[in-house]
Amino acid sequence: MHDAHVVGVGMTPFGVHDATLPDLFAEAALPALDDAGAAPDDVEALYFGNAMGGQIEGDSHLAPTVASHVGLAGVPCQRFEDACATSSNAFKNAVQAVEAGQHDVVLVGGVERCSPETGKGTGAMTRIFASAAHGAYERPTGLTFPGVFALLTKRHMHEHGTTPEQLAEVAVKNHYHGSLNDRAHFGKETTTEEVLDGPVVADPFRLHDCCPFSDGAAAVVVASEDAAADLSGDPVRVAGVGHATDVVPLADKAHPSTTQAARDAAREAYEAAGIAADDVDFAEVHDCFTGAEVLATEALGLVTDGEGGAAAAAGRTALGGEIPVNPSGGLKAKGHPIGATGAAQIVELTEQLRGEADERSVEGADVGLAHNLGGDAATTVVSVLEAADAGEVAR
Amino acid sequence: MSVDDYAEDDRLTTGGWRDALDDGLLLGQECRDCGHVTGAPKAACARCGSRALDTVRLPEEGTVYSVTRIEVAPEGFDAPYHVAMVALDDGRVTARLDGEADIGETVTFTGAASTPEGPAPRFG
Ligand SMILES: [Zn+2]
Repeated sequence: MHDAHVVGVGMTPFGVHDATLPDLFAEAALPALDDAGAAPDDVEALYFGNAMGGQIEGDSHLAPTVASHVGLAGVPCQRFEDACATSSNAFKNAVQAVEAGQHDVVLVGGVERCSPETGKGTGAMTRIFASAAHGAYERPTGLTFPGVFALLTKRHMHEHGTTPEQLAEVAVKNHYHGSLNDRAHFGKETTTEEVLDGPVVADPFRLHDCCPFSDGAAAVVVASEDAAADLSGDPVRVAGVGHATDVVPLADKAHPSTTQAARDAAREAYEAAGIAADDVDFAEVHDCFTGAEVLATEALGLVTDGEGGAAAAAGRTALGGEIPVNPSGGLKAKGHPIGATGAAQIVELTEQLRGEADERSVEGADVGLAHNLGGDAATTVVSVLEAADAGEVAR
Repeated sequence: MSVDDYAEDDRLTTGGWRDALDDGLLLGQECRDCGHVTGAPKAACARCGSRALDTVRLPEEGTVYSVTRIEVAPEGFDAPYHVAMVALDDGRVTARLDGEADIGETVTFTGAASTPEGPAPRFG
């Protein structure tokens, strides 16, 4: 099996964009290709993520369109759609293609527009996001995407005593991290009081417990070890990727608040990388809502079960803490353009492991983890990346 | 009508489940092989893959497993309203809740809520 490396990264600022999806994707893809030092002839395939362009903008069959738009006409393209885990699944498949020797250099990325700039207001977007819940048994109840995580989080609060104040601390932390990231949708800090005074979206979540409706794109170039040596980009090694799903709908899961798919995907990624949770130096996790970050840090083994809220409140998951979580600001502050989110996590891991993360750098980081979740807490992809010069990290 | 009248070729489909709900019956499936009970009928058991599924009437009294008050609703829904996961013996359903109830409180099936997305079980 060949080793896969990330050799180039690019992403747009997350926030509000009026560009078309192909134009916006190019703003991430071309910098990624340039960062890798890859010419169009070097790229053998496009693995592309876009979750909701059909519903939001009336655009479908986008992969060949964006490939042509960025100078890759003719390469095999495939579009991935796994709700919010869309482009991390594209990444997984690209890594597998490189590991299998099927392709040497692959462009992976995603793009999405979800802000009111699309012409869709909050009610319309809330309905479109709810399309990731079960159509027959959940949507008729009026369950929304915040509602899905609200049900999981309320159960976690009941079982473990997690408090609204602890949830607010997750938002405060990620807004602080986002203030250090000039590509973040929310670049300003917030306070626990501001979070706890906000209007309720889906109890226990208030406005600042929720990620924003963002537009944006992110892209990475994945290459085999040999191809990476021929390119000029600074490589980061893909140590392992895990991918699992859980039962849909929510009510049928064996124990909804444990997010079993994340546990299964993490086990697979850790095994592939030959590491344990303790070896992870920092993580980008899917904090679409503050409660989602609490569940994720526990499922990944970064904190003890039931202690996710307390760990955030104690600063253990902040920059400078024992296991920094979402140094980019996460979905909560950096933003969440659905189909671009997973690729953007890989961008952050790569920049951190290259030592290019400026003010938000995690000191001495050799192992980074990305956790990207889609839909009804069903699809989960966990990726572990290692600094190229880390050697045999913490085995 | 009997429970089996809502099944097609012995299997409860989404259509049959909705028809029963509109008639005031809360149906589900019980797996003959592993015993898993679901309020969201499927073509095969979500736990073990078995196709040996009995159409059953679910208990009409249960306890709130988790609950949220939705204040920002999708188009076509009027907020605020409560959505709960309700535990019914061996199964769970996601349902609309009339009024407030905390986790652990007993609630009773009161029929179907009619929504733009179809009928939903209602508990109160
Ligand atoms: Zn079964």
